[in-house]
Amino acid sequence: MVVQTQPAPRTAPAPPSVPVPGESVPPPSVPLSFLAAAGLGLSLFGLAVWFAADRIVTSPAHPGALAAVHVGMLAFLTTAVLGAAHQFTPVVARRPLRSVTVARVTFVGMVATAWLLPSGFAHGPESLVAAGGVTGAVTVLLAAWNLSGPLSVRGRGVPLAGLRLSVTYLVATVAFGVVYAFDRQAAWFPLLPHRVLAHAHVGLLGWLGLTYVAVAEKLWPMFLLAHRPRAREGAWAVGLVGAGVPLLAAGLLFAAPAVAWPGGLAVGAGLVCHLVSLVQVVRHRRRPLELLHGFLFASAAFLVVAVAFGAAAALLPVDTPTRTRLVTAEVAALAAWLGLAVIGHAHKIVPFIAYKALRARGVTTGRSGRPLLFADLLHRPTARLTLAVAAAGYLLAVAGAAAASRDVLAVGGATVAAAGVLVTANLAIGPRRAVRAGGAATSS
Amino acid sequence: MIDPSTADPQAESRREAALAALGDVWDPELGLDVVSLGLVYDVRAEDDRVEIDMTLTTPGCPVSEQLPSEAESAVRAALPGVEVTVNVVWDPPWTPERLSPLALERLGFRRR
Repeated sequence: MVVQTQPAPRTAPAPPSVPVPGESVPPPSVPLSFLAAAGLGLSLFGLAVWFAADRIVTSPAHPGALAAVHVGMLAFLTTAVLGAAHQFTPVVARRPLRSVTVARVTFVGMVATAWLLPSGFAHGPESLVAAGGVTGAVTVLLAAWNLSGPLSVRGRGVPLAGLRLSVTYLVATVAFGVVYAFDRQAAWFPLLPHRVLAHAHVGLLGWLGLTYVAVAEKLWPMFLLAHRPRAREGAWAVGLVGAGVPLLAAGLLFAAPAVAWPGGLAVGAGLVCHLVSLVQVVRHRRRPLELLHGFLFASAAFLVVAVAFGAAAALLPVDTPTRTRLVTAEVAALAAWLGLAVIGHAHKIVPFIAYKALRARGVTTGRSGRPLLFADLLHRPTARLTLAVAAAGYLLAVAGAAAASRDVLAVGGATVAAAGVLVTANLAIGPRRAVRAGGAATSS
Repeated sequence: MIDPSTADPQAESRREAALAALGDVWDPELGLDVVSLGLVYDVRAEDDRVEIDMTLTTPGCPVSEQLPSEAESAVRAALPGVEVTVNVVWDPPWTPERLSPLALERLGFRRR
C-alpha cells in the first residue's frame, strides 16, 4: 500500500505533507487520564484485597469480597484496557474515534462506576449498586459506540478482529452485571455461585483476556522486531477464545456441563495458542529481551497457573469448600495474568503517548542531549522494582486464595497496592524529568 | 514522478543533505536513526523538489504518524525553500534484513 501524499505549495510556510500527528489518535489527555486513574485503581484494588482478605477466603460471594473484586475489575483492569483501546484502536485501524468528547465522558463514567458499584457492595444501600450498574451500562455503551468507528474498518488482521469480539463481550459483561444488580432487589432468581462465575468469566476471558490476546499479536512482534510470515497461532488464539467464551459462560450460567466443557476446552486451547505465540515471537526476535518481557513471562506463568486451577476445580472430586478455594485461586491467577500484562505494557504505552505530547511542546532532547527516546520517560530501576513487587504481590494473593490464608492474601494485597504506587509514580515523574532535561538542554 | 537518472550536481547535493538530515531523525522506541534502520527506501531530488519514500517497521506502529512528520520537518529545515514530500510506502514491507551493520550491532541483532 502506498500513501500518496499531497505536494506542498511552493509558497512558504508549507504545511507538512505527511499525516499530522493526532490525525487519527485522540489527544494524549484521553488515554493518559484512563491510565492514570487505573494506576490509582491498582493501589485501591490492593488495599481492598487487604481489607477484605478474611471475607475473600471464607466467603467469596460476601459483599466485601465482591467490592474488592469489582475495584480490581473496574477501577484497574477495565479502566486501563479501555484507555489503551482508545489509543490503540484508532492507530491500528487508521480511523479516529467517533468522538473525543464521548471518550472523555466515558472516562468520567468509568470513574463513577468504579466508585459507585464497589461502594454499594461494601456499604449499601442497594440503590447504590443499581446506580453503579446503570452508570456502568451507559458508560460501556458509549465506549462501544465510540470504538465502533475504528473497529468498523474492514481487515487490519487479527488484532481488530479480536477487539470487535472483545468489545461485544464487554457489553455482555455489563449486561450480566446490570441484571444481577437489579436482581439483588427484585429477587428474580437466586444469585448462585455458578451464575456469578458466568459473569466473571465473560469479563475476565471474553472482555479483558481476549483484548489482550488480540492486541498482543500486534504489540509483541512490533516490540521485538519479530517477523513470523506464516504465523497462525494468534489467529487460532483469538478464534478459540472468542468461540469458547459464550459456551463456557452459558454452561456456567445454566449449570450445564455438556455446554461448559467444550467452551472451557476451546478457551484453554486458545490460551495455549496465545502462549505458543509468545514463544514464537521470542524465538524470532531481532532485539534483546527487555523489562517488558519480564512482565510478559511472569504474566504468562500466572495464566498457566489459572488454567491449572480451573481444570482442577472442574475435574477433581473434591468437596464444595475445596472447589470454592480452587475457583477463587483461578480467578485470582487470571487477575494476576491480566494485571501484570497491563502493568508491563503501561511501561511502553505511557512513555509513547507522553513522547508525542512532549514533542508537541517542543521537548525534543533527552537527558543525554541526544534525541528524546521512550526510554528517557521512565526510571528503569524503579520499573524493575515494580516488576518484582507486583509479581510478588500477585503470587502471595494467589497463594493466599488457594490456601485460604487470610494473612498471606492480605500481604499480597498490600504488596500489589505498593506496586500501584511505584508504577504510577514512575510513569508520572518520567515525563516531568524529561521536560526539565529538555529545558536544560535548550538553555545550554 | 522524479527520474533519479536526471540528477544534476545540485540535485545530488540536495539528496545528500536530505539523507544527512534523515540521519538525525530517530525512532524513539529503537533509539536509532531511520537511515540506519533501513526505513528510508529512496530519496529523489530534482530542481527545487525533494521526494522521499520511507516505511515503518510495521503498519500501525505507534510512531506511524509521528516519524514521517519528523522526517519531513528535518529535511525541510535542512533544505529551506525546497519542496519536500514524504511518501509512506508499505511495498516492499520492511524486514530486519534492511538494518545497517551499525543498527545490527546496537540492537544486539543476530543475522539469520
